[in-house]
Amino acid sequence: MATSAITTTVRTRRRTSSGTGGKSAALFLTPFFAVFAVAMVAPVVYSIVLSFYSQQKSGLGFGEAKTTFVGIENYLQVLASESFVGGIVRLLVYCIIYIPAMVGAAVVFALLLDAGVARARKLFQLLVFLPHAVPGVIAALIWSYLYTPGISPLVQALASGGIQINFLDAHWVLPSIVNIGVWEWTGYNVIILFTALQAVPREVLEAARVDGASEIRLSLSIKFPLILPALSVIMLFTIIGTLQLFTEPTIIGKATSAVTSTWVPNMWAYDAAFIRHNLNQAAAASIIIAALAAILSLAVTRFNSRMNKA
Amino acid sequence: MKRRTLLIGAAGLFGSGMLMAACGAEPTPASSPKPTTVPTGTLTFWSALAGMDKVAAAFNASQSNIKVTFETIPDGSNGGYAKLSTAITAGNGPDVATIEYPQLPQFVSNGQVQALDGLIDNAATVDQLSQEIRALVQFGGKTYALPYDAAPLIMWYRKDMLDKAGVSVPTTWEEFEAAGRKLKAVAPDSYLASFNPNEVAVTAALAWQAGGKWFGTAGDSWKVGVNDAATQKVADYWQKLIDDKIVKVEQAFSDEWSLDMANGTVVGVLGANWSATGIQKRTQASGQQGQWIAAVVPNWGRPAGSFYGGSSFNITKSSKNPAAAAKFIEFLTTDPAAITARGNTGSAFLAFPSLTPVAQKAYDASYFGNDIYSVFNKAYASVTPGWQWGPNWDITNTAFKDAYGKLSTGGTVRAAVDSAQQATVSGLKQTGLSVSQ
Repeated sequence: MATSAITTTVRTRRRTSSGTGGKSAALFLTPFFAVFAVAMVAPVVYSIVLSFYSQQKSGLGFGEAKTTFVGIENYLQVLASESFVGGIVRLLVYCIIYIPAMVGAAVVFALLLDAGVARARKLFQLLVFLPHAVPGVIAALIWSYLYTPGISPLVQALASGGIQINFLDAHWVLPSIVNIGVWEWTGYNVIILFTALQAVPREVLEAARVDGASEIRLSLSIKFPLILPALSVIMLFTIIGTLQLFTEPTIIGKATSAVTSTWVPNMWAYDAAFIRHNLNQAAAASIIIAALAAILSLAVTRFNSRMNKA
Repeated sequence: MKRRTLLIGAAGLFGSGMLMAACGAEPTPASSPKPTTVPTGTLTFWSALAGMDKVAAAFNASQSNIKVTFETIPDGSNGGYAKLSTAITAGNGPDVATIEYPQLPQFVSNGQVQALDGLIDNAATVDQLSQEIRALVQFGGKTYALPYDAAPLIMWYRKDMLDKAGVSVPTTWEEFEAAGRKLKAVAPDSYLASFNPNEVAVTAALAWQAGGKWFGTAGDSWKVGVNDAATQKVADYWQKLIDDKIVKVEQAFSDEWSLDMANGTVVGVLGANWSATGIQKRTQASGQQGQWIAAVVPNWGRPAGSFYGGSSFNITKSSKNPAAAAKFIEFLTTDPAAITARGNTGSAFLAFPSLTPVAQKAYDASYFGNDIYSVFNKAYASVTPGWQWGPNWDITNTAFKDAYGKLSTGGTVRAAVDSAQQATVSGLKQTGLSVSQ
């Protein structure tokens, strides 16, 4: 309703004034900002408000609950929760393994594809990207099957080769989940990097070749520095995406007790909201996660801009 | 953001099996027309129980005043309660919901279900129930649900494997441990049962059977005893079974659990009456017909039992037509026609007296090696009275699962019990409840 009203006003104004770039931009941007306000800004504001209140019951709790303003109490409770802090630490460990593995693999694949080492380039491009086309839930289910001892042909093959490994025990489950992430997201990032590589000026490459650079030298000294901006975009997306980690551990958690219902911060927030019915605490936890994402993004952007200037 | 959307999408996929109940057109005369105004209207009914679509259809066919629309929702472990709770809070929940006993006080405490007093015929329903069952649905002197089943904790065994180990069905926990050791002697890779970190309700049932009381009220405050002496005894006992590899730690209902049952790695299931269908489904293909038997759970020296699972029907806060909803839940929980309509879906054991024989007749128990219903009856008769569920079961449930996650890296059942106690007390206090330990 509000959207159409705004649009109408904008339209009327456009007719009366001489058409400028700003006006038509407003016309096209209004629907976006309207939806953005309703679907993004409003929930965020509501969450912030929620996070400062608490549903307080009294006695046995079978009466009406009172909503009281508690200030930063919810934040303190979340940060004092051993499982929440444990989840953040776990996520950091996850990042330390996941980001180098995934980004490293993506860079190598992209450089290989661009160097033309792979003969059937189109085919390999497709094969590399294919895992990303599998929805996250399905991917987690497939891997959960591949990890389960007694069922998995993978575990069986390793066992017959003399390697006894339980991918789902408390020691291995984190690397196992990292593996799912790498499998899913490498292909996607290869495409981004490959596109960036296509934009590298051919004359620069020609000049290097004339100077006698080998393909490997070309990749490392010319192409790699030139795709650093794309790489920084990837880092940004990856860090934000990692903080959102939820699907894979949730699905794997059905198969092993090593993944608890509060394993990572997002699962903690879900558990607080929908299992323990404490929406206020869940709101506080979500704001903390969002703040972390903001701080990390800022750090990555700062670091990158300094790198690019240097 | 994207990952989350995908998961919700998948949950929706499971939940969207909108089964519209067929509406019988022929008006069959109502059993006993009452002089008071007969409630009319339409109702929505959510349940994760198999066969409830048929029950709703049978209700629609039996009278013409109320029309029930049935919708399958995911069960509790797959987000069913999250869906229900969110829907009620948003004001678009169903009229009639299905809630298991441990979760019920939470819904009552959150004001999400209506008190039934004045809506239902107490004399014909709740007053007929046993004391143990009634205690699970009445809080502060009001009735908040009509109980459907009363699910006694049952131990299921492979009879042929017990014979192979040269033991008879264990009657005490001491005998159970000895049987496990003898089984290990003849079949080193076999386990007598599994310990399921994802089924905290079993831990609760074992504590209940040992005389533990996790929750109670003293005046206007809750007494929490998750690590009481009886529970500590149970925890230490199971830790010993885990350490000596008599039971295998694995998630219940997982692929691993199913496979272990099918290939004979695990030869026992600590479950309830409703486990029968699951056991049959997982072991039938491996030719275990007639080998599984039900047994009363071993005890600590005196006959004692407990409930594991079981559901109740409730009228939610969202219901605009509680009078009609009350008629429907009376039908669900007391009418033999509701039991017959469900068909051969499971070995139900019902709370309302005289209904269990109806369920027994509807269920084909020929897969099993003994008369399972006589075992259920015996187990039901020995249920220890006085157990109460706390005001927020999921705080305890989550704390247990978190601690059980450490079982494979040096954590113990006893440590889990202690941390669950601490988490429950602090969690309840955080919501403002008055708690004494």
